[in-house]
Amino acid sequence: MTKINNRIRRLRFDYDEMTQEELANRVGCTRQTIIALEQGKYVPSLELAFKIARTFGVVVEDVFQYEGNK
Amino acid sequence: MAPLQKRALYGLVFGVIWVIAIIVVFILKGGVSTFNEDHGFRLIIDGLWVGGLIVYLLLLETIGRKPSQVDERDRLIMDRSPRIQWLAVIFSLVVWMIALTESYHDAGQIPIIFLYLIFMSTLIVSAVAQSAGILIGYWRMERND
Repeated sequence: MTKINNRIRRLRFDYDEMTQEELANRVGCTRQTIIALEQGKYVPSLELAFKIARTFGVVVEDVFQYEGNK
Repeated sequence: MAPLQKRALYGLVFGVIWVIAIIVVFILKGGVSTFNEDHGFRLIIDGLWVGGLIVYLLLLETIGRKPSQVDERDRLIMDRSPRIQWLAVIFSLVVWMIALTESYHDAGQIPIIFLYLIFMSTLIVSAVAQSAGILIGYWRMERND
């Protein structure tokens, strides 16, 4: 299975301790999806990945890291 | 629990109660032979399954049109649920086929009323299996399959 790690939880806390609900509202998804993302149980679409990165003012690679075969 | 997951759970519970209600009414009122002869009985069953289907559709379909409650992950799970529906429908048709063939093989013909019952049960199975499919989708995603 594709392994993509993310730093959403860390970035939320760095960004004024943003709640999962707030982030969900900003990027247009449900809080449950943010929970699934943080737990690594769901890999987002490119669109959602970009929205999350833009919310934190960083590039996508700063949020998501691909840990597949190199 | 995601809003869609909650709706699917309600849908499954409602679906099971709906199926049990139809079966109980069907058996208490006299079964297939009465159903074949009694127009009033057929209307009661029609009301039960059409009414149930409308409630069921309202329960699940309305949420799909609310962007704030359904996101891409929910849509992905919804898009996968027809696999379970398809399996459940095929399974119910196989059960009907075997049961009717074994019951009416010697008679050489099947009462026409079974066409109605097969269609009705297939629709109900399909509706209930949609909820089950959605719940299985969430469960599988939780397990990270």
